Amino acid sequence: MTDTVVAVGAGQVSAVLARTLRRRKFDGRIVLVGAEPHRPYQRPPLSKEYLVDGDDEDLYLLPEQWCADKDVELLLGTPVTGLDVAGRSVTLADGRTIGADAIVLATGGRARRLPDVEGDRILYLRTLDDAGRLDQLLQPGARLVVVGGGFIGSEVAAAGRARGAEVTLVEMLEQPLARVLGTQLGAVCAQVHVRGGVQLRLGQPVESIVQSGDVVRVRVGDETLEADVVVVGVGIEPNVELADAAGLKVDNGIVVDEQLRTGAPGIYAAGDVANVHHPLYGKSLRVEHFDAASKQGAVVANNILGRESTFADPYWFWSDQYDLNLQYTGHATSWDRVVLRGSLDDLAFTAFYLEDGVVRAAFAIERGDDIAAAGQLVAAQARPDPEALADVDTDLFDLLEGE
Amino acid sequence: MVDDAARVRAPEGEAPAPSSGGSWVEVATVKELARHKKKLVEVAGEPIALFYADGAVSAMYDVCIHKERSLSKGIVMGGKVICPGHQWMFDVDTGWCEEEERCQPSYPVRVDDDGVVYVEPRQRIARTADD
Repeated sequence: MTDTVVAVGAGQVSAVLARTLRRRKFDGRIVLVGAEPHRPYQRPPLSKEYLVDGDDEDLYLLPEQWCADKDVELLLGTPVTGLDVAGRSVTLADGRTIGADAIVLATGGRARRLPDVEGDRILYLRTLDDAGRLDQLLQPGARLVVVGGGFIGSEVAAAGRARGAEVTLVEMLEQPLARVLGTQLGAVCAQVHVRGGVQLRLGQPVESIVQSGDVVRVRVGDETLEADVVVVGVGIEPNVELADAAGLKVDNGIVVDEQLRTGAPGIYAAGDVANVHHPLYGKSLRVEHFDAASKQGAVVANNILGRESTFADPYWFWSDQYDLNLQYTGHATSWDRVVLRGSLDDLAFTAFYLEDGVVRAAFAIERGDDIAAAGQLVAAQARPDPEALADVDTDLFDLLEGE
Repeated sequence: MVDDAARVRAPEGEAPAPSSGGSWVEVATVKELARHKKKLVEVAGEPIALFYADGAVSAMYDVCIHKERSLSKGIVMGGKVICPGHQWMFDVDTGWCEEEERCQPSYPVRVDDDGVVYVEPRQRIARTADD
């Protein structure tokens, strides 16, 4: 019998958790405890439309009225300081203790910071407050240097251009997004930035970042870039401290099985902080995808209610840069062949990443209509004929039927 | 082969008599929809996406309620229209998106005995979060 569900963290996982529990007629107490002072919000827009023009239409997740109607308690600006695994309770910063039948650890992550780099014009982008600070400094004509050519860095560079900033993107690897997409497709993304008017500094690490007065100097190779604002996007660190101190297994995140269960009864972890055993990939993976957080929130809700549920989604995420829509499904850390469908030159293509003939992942620019089928090919571990895959006249669903 | 008597996805009570005239606008044939699965048309200045799935025709406002992408550039899978922009999934009958609890506007559709498809350019919200 479950009477009380407490979620630690009030982001995407917790919002979907609460919505799913109530949709499934759970009538017990639901408490979402958030360290940030803001109502639950989505992070993806912070480096996209919200940064470009302040569009906050889809930003907030649980309207006040909905929470009141559905009796979902939000404790905001309230860090959780203690977790009692055996007693199944959490202690809040203000000293209160809340007991629960199920506790969901959705503590997310924090921006990875560069050591010994300080200054009020050197920013990270993870929270709504971070976005607010960047918004103030990102004036037309401002010189913006983005350190890190991953998805956040790429989106910030694009948003900076949309706001009339002079943008330089610095990436240690040979191409932006190379870690995920490989060098070939990373080079395409580099061209997207060039087309968008961004200066690139690739294949060189940043030696130093020093702010003096209102100017930040970024040393790259033997060059010094001057900036009015620097955004560092070099990944996140999972917020595992609470779980770690409570004695839960932590290894690149909080370790959970495919049902999102920690080793302790009634205690789950999901979202960016969770290192989840993935049945499709046969190993534990910690990803930082909005969609995985959503789906995991729903899986946890179902498991709390006794509807046994597993997270086995192949993963999906998107990025909006300039006027282009990028999407990725699957998970490929190694591949031996990339099959292209569509046109690189026209920036309208899907790239399929194959390993031993098996589709492991797909990346699309302006071909999002391929992605649903691509996800199914990944989930089915399909081995489609590469020629057919490359042919834009092939219905990708037909390639599934051969399985 | 195309079944000329394609079913119509319309809530009960919406289907008018074929001769009712009114504002029904001819937009396509079942035959061409069966071949291409979807078609973008413009009726009374509104972009409308037609879909053909499981032997039935449906019509939705083409502009996705999420980020204004074109739904007619998406696909139909398992009874859902999937937006190419951010993979929001809308029930092909009602336009309802379960995950977001929001509804894409849809339109009444009818198909006559000759397989001609008509749309009435009157947006409807078939479902709300309170339903």
